[in-house]
Amino acid sequence: MTTTLSRTAERTGSVQVRDVRRTFGRGRKQVEALGPVDLDVRAGEFVSIVGPSGCGKSTLLRAIGGLIRPTSGRIELDVVGDHPLAMIFQDYGIYPWKRVLDNVRFGLDIQGVPRREGDLRARDWLERLGLGDFAGSWPHELSGGMRQRVSIARAMTADPEILLMDEPFAALDAQLRALLQEELLQISQRDPRTVLFVTHSLAEAILLADRVVVMSARPGRILLDRQVPFGRPRTPDIRRSPEFAELEDELWQTLRAEVTEQLGTQREALGGASDGSR
Amino acid sequence: MAVVDQASPTSTPARGRTIVRQPSRAELDPERTHRRRRLLETALAIGVPVCLLLLWQAASAWNWIDGRLYPAPTEIGRRGWDLITEGTLWHDLFSTSRRVLLGWALGSAAGAVLGVLMGSSSLLRKALEPTLDALYVVPKLALLPILFNIFGLGEGSQIALVAITVFFFVWIATMAAIMSVPEGYRDGGHVFGAGRWQMFRHVVFPAAAPQMMVGARVAAGVAVLVIVAAEFLVGEDGLGYLIFSSRNLFINDAMFVGIVVVALLGVLFAQVLRLLERVLLPWVDHRDGGSGQ
Ligand SMILES: Nc1ncnc2c1ncn2[C@@H]1O[C@H](COP(=O)(O)OP(=O)(O)OP(=O)(O)O)[C@@H](O)[C@H]1O
Ligand SMILES: [Mg+2]
Repeated sequence: MTTTLSRTAERTGSVQVRDVRRTFGRGRKQVEALGPVDLDVRAGEFVSIVGPSGCGKSTLLRAIGGLIRPTSGRIELDVVGDHPLAMIFQDYGIYPWKRVLDNVRFGLDIQGVPRREGDLRARDWLERLGLGDFAGSWPHELSGGMRQRVSIARAMTADPEILLMDEPFAALDAQLRALLQEELLQISQRDPRTVLFVTHSLAEAILLADRVVVMSARPGRILLDRQVPFGRPRTPDIRRSPEFAELEDELWQTLRAEVTEQLGTQREALGGASDGSR
Repeated sequence: MAVVDQASPTSTPARGRTIVRQPSRAELDPERTHRRRRLLETALAIGVPVCLLLLWQAASAWNWIDGRLYPAPTEIGRRGWDLITEGTLWHDLFSTSRRVLLGWALGSAAGAVLGVLMGSSSLLRKALEPTLDALYVVPKLALLPILFNIFGLGEGSQIALVAITVFFFVWIATMAAIMSVPEGYRDGGHVFGAGRWQMFRHVVFPAAAPQMMVGARVAAGVAVLVIVAAEFLVGEDGLGYLIFSSRNLFINDAMFVGIVVVALLGVLFAQVLRLLERVLLPWVDHRDGGSGQ
């Protein structure tokens, strides 16, 4: 039941991020959110991004998606089609005025795909994500995790060259999360595409990705960039191998140092402030 | 339909009691409960005005109020029937409705278009907002002489007056609605590569539509108010003319016929718009029968 368009053999959709920074606000309220970041993602490569909360992961994804511009630096996407991108937003971003099926078909509507074909492809993804019975429902009738799955289905249905996923599984229960990880693993192996996948789970990052990137605390820079030592196709069983544990440990050590330091500087800042006021 | 926690005393232990939680009728027979609820709602909606009328009738029957100034509902009804059989009431009602509908449609369309444009472009907003704000506060009836110059003394000026009044309500509501569409909704469209028109059709318009509709509904009420005043000033027919000319001739019961019919027209118009909203905007949670402005 593969209604997804089979892509031509050569893959498209590479991403080059060059010396990108992003600040928000002006004057004294200015916040350095990101960078400088350099990142290259090959066409068809699956890259996971982890990092402390507020370090600029969403900002990076939004910059790649063209929703905000970098304050400095440059991002290049090498793509073929007119509608190369899809994104799964941290807060779902699905539309309350569209029924579930229409939400999932949104990307295809934008691409001008005929309604009948669009419905078929949308239904296929709804089935795979266990939402087949809810095609006609309104979003306000769904639970949070179901809305998240609608958002995933919407992005997958659009069949993008570059897929940006911002914590797509965060709102799901642990069992469903594990199932969808497996589903995503299979999908990305059967039909590889460029994916930037933001997550807080190190195991999830390793399981799914060809490469894992660890970002520093705000303003986020890249601290560590590791190839995942497992080929494809792979199965969730790799979680039990020593290499998996080794990589997870390395990532965790880097992250922990970063988070500890961040907490430390915040305490210092607080202490300094109270000293100053004395 | 609150869930009922039934705490019922039981026979077994002397001091103890058992708390029983069980479905109420609402859960056991949702269909029937729903039907009964609808029936009750309809009965209330009709019953309350009927009770008020009865009270009025009683008040004039027992001379609590002066029957010559405030004729009893039966008097008004009798006069209304006369006016209907003579055909003048139909004519007045038709003239007024036509003016209201045409003016409302024209004004809403213009207000929606300009509201969308100004809501989408901050430059256009900066350019036009002060001017429109200034025009907004001008009493529209004061424009009537100018409209006479443009459209002549007949239908044209009255319809134009309604249209202008409605325009401002819909314009303001639409502009505010477009501007308050959350950025997150637009983000989705951007990432998936929507063009300007697609963004409008799939995202901005449906997001703004409920609030625009509120503007159109408020404007509908105001349109009726304005047309009655205009007909009083210039009219040769219409419900406003009926009200004020009867008053001048001290035919109080005919005046009240006019007032009642205007009120009914307002209710009908609002109800039709609510129905339209339900059909056009099915994603809005209409749990409360779509009321509330
Ligand atoms: N629109 C904005 N205006 C001002 N500051 C912003 C804006 N967007 C993000 N920031 C700031 O930029 C920083 C990075 O935000 P971002 O959302 O990218 O973090 P994140 O890594 O995705 O965090 P999380 O893991 O919690 O989702 C934060 O400190 C945030 O306060
Ligand atoms: Mg984020």
